[in-house]
Amino acid sequence: MRKALDTLYDSAAWIAATFMVALLVMVMLSIAGRELGFHVRGTDAYAGYMMAGAGFFALAHTLKRGEHIRVTLLLQALAPAARRRFETFSLAVAVLLAGLLAFFSGKLCWQSWQFHDISTSNDATPLWIPQISMALGTLILFIAFVDEFICELRGTRKAYGSDELLRNE
Amino acid sequence: MDILITLLLIVVLFGFLAGGVWIGLTLSGVAWVAMELFSSRPAGDAMAVTIWGSASSWTLTALPLFVWMGEILFRTRLSQDMFKGLAPWVERLPGRLLHTNVIGCAIFAAVSGSSAATCATIGKMTLPELKKRGYPDDQVIGTLAGAGTLGLLIPPSIIMIVYGVAADVSISKLFIAGIFPGIMLATLFSGYIVVWSLMNPGKIPAATASYTFMQKLHESRHLIPVVLLIMAVLGSIYSGIATATEAAGVGVIGSLVLSLLQGSLNWQSFKESLLGATRLYCMIALILTGAAFLTLAMGYLGLPRALAEFINGLGLSKFMLIVALAAFYVLLGCFLDGISMVVLTMGVILPTVTGAGIDLIWFGIFITLVVEMAQITPPVGFNLFVLQGMTKRELTYIARVALPMFFLMCVAVLLIYFVPEIATWLPTKM
Repeated sequence: MRKALDTLYDSAAWIAATFMVALLVMVMLSIAGRELGFHVRGTDAYAGYMMAGAGFFALAHTLKRGEHIRVTLLLQALAPAARRRFETFSLAVAVLLAGLLAFFSGKLCWQSWQFHDISTSNDATPLWIPQISMALGTLILFIAFVDEFICELRGTRKAYGSDELLRNE
Repeated sequence: MDILITLLLIVVLFGFLAGGVWIGLTLSGVAWVAMELFSSRPAGDAMAVTIWGSASSWTLTALPLFVWMGEILFRTRLSQDMFKGLAPWVERLPGRLLHTNVIGCAIFAAVSGSSAATCATIGKMTLPELKKRGYPDDQVIGTLAGAGTLGLLIPPSIIMIVYGVAADVSISKLFIAGIFPGIMLATLFSGYIVVWSLMNPGKIPAATASYTFMQKLHESRHLIPVVLLIMAVLGSIYSGIATATEAAGVGVIGSLVLSLLQGSLNWQSFKESLLGATRLYCMIALILTGAAFLTLAMGYLGLPRALAEFINGLGLSKFMLIVALAAFYVLLGCFLDGISMVVLTMGVILPTVTGAGIDLIWFGIFITLVVEMAQITPPVGFNLFVLQGMTKRELTYIARVALPMFFLMCVAVLLIYFVPEIATWLPTKM
């Protein structure tokens, strides 16, 4: 089970990374198109979808690596027992919110499909296609939070002291 | 009654934040409650649509690309090269190699959008080199902490992209507006080093080598790659060839080429930079999308309008307003990171700012400066964290030695207030 979940998060991260490369390709394509005089319709909108894909698919992996920002000032000052109560509380809140997010993202995607919602810019993409990344990404995030919550209750949640965390802005 | 509920919401917001709930989720959660209470629009559907809109908006695409560019350059030998290229030039100045901190950060800032990345990349080289030569720790760490924040003010800048999207201001114009204030702040830092070393003779070790002018020029060849990269990125924005997003794309390709030529590009470093950038962007995206939803909810609440009316009613002068805002942001910056700080307040504060007749490009530079201050104010300041990791010193020690830089930034805020053209002149020349 542990292995299956970790594989899920890692594969999603690789999908996200692929979207990141695709975003770069889109942007370069639009520059090349203008300089060399060919026109690819909707590169701007596609770049936006690629960015969304990169963001949503990486959500769970980023959480697991401890890189989503939270204020840990109070947590660090607390005694271990109180700290665990706070962790459990914030994870419970997070599970609830991530669940809502996943549910309504799925609903949005489904409705876009049902009502044949089309992008209003010149790419005319049926919106449910790029919105799949949001529906799946938030679902995987929800799974990751439930996973973290259960680990916390069992006392097996990994503590991270990542250096990566610090380079963010 | 409404005011009571609003206050309650703010208490809930800060309670959740302090309790350690992830910032991005907290913003969405509070927005959800506000929507349920104050509008008849279904909160869940509004959330999904708003989050999708902001996560897929084209204006934001510059952000992940600049983040990626920084991650690539962090893994190159660029910092070593810059140290080699700069050291011969500053050996004769009072303060000698301390200036490599400031000038190095200022140059690296022109290819990096982040303060912590600038601090880490330059510090990776200058911290051990200056320590080896016997420079005083206080000054080495203090000036590095301060100069690292130039990463935000000198374009490209992650904070400016975030602000530009939130305030609907041209990101290219903001970038160009940051150039002179950035050079001005770097000059203030360097000036401080000169004054300090003249007042404390003997604390700065003697020069280790002397160079002829031709030798100096020859050593400067190490700076060529970074200068070319700066010209490609900023030049294309300023001349109007490229949008901020396209310049970011060019920057990523340029950084990859640079790291290929240096021989530091391999599958491992490419993979690390790509995944690192994806995670970093993802972290920022969660906050940005949550904030977009919160901004929508705040609109239903009428909070921005109410605040603007309240502040207008106070009859503050423009100067007092700016002072009050600066104090507010510095205080907030003690506890929150810069991005959260900007997105959290922008939706509420913008009507007040425009109502007071403040230019939004200028205000962007102001915000960037106060966010820079937040980077070095304890207990939460990202440059402090970076330097804590690199030097293994106490956070309080680093904050104390960086304090003079904090005051210099206050001076910079005053300077751009009294001479706003420092920020607003160059964008008009685009």
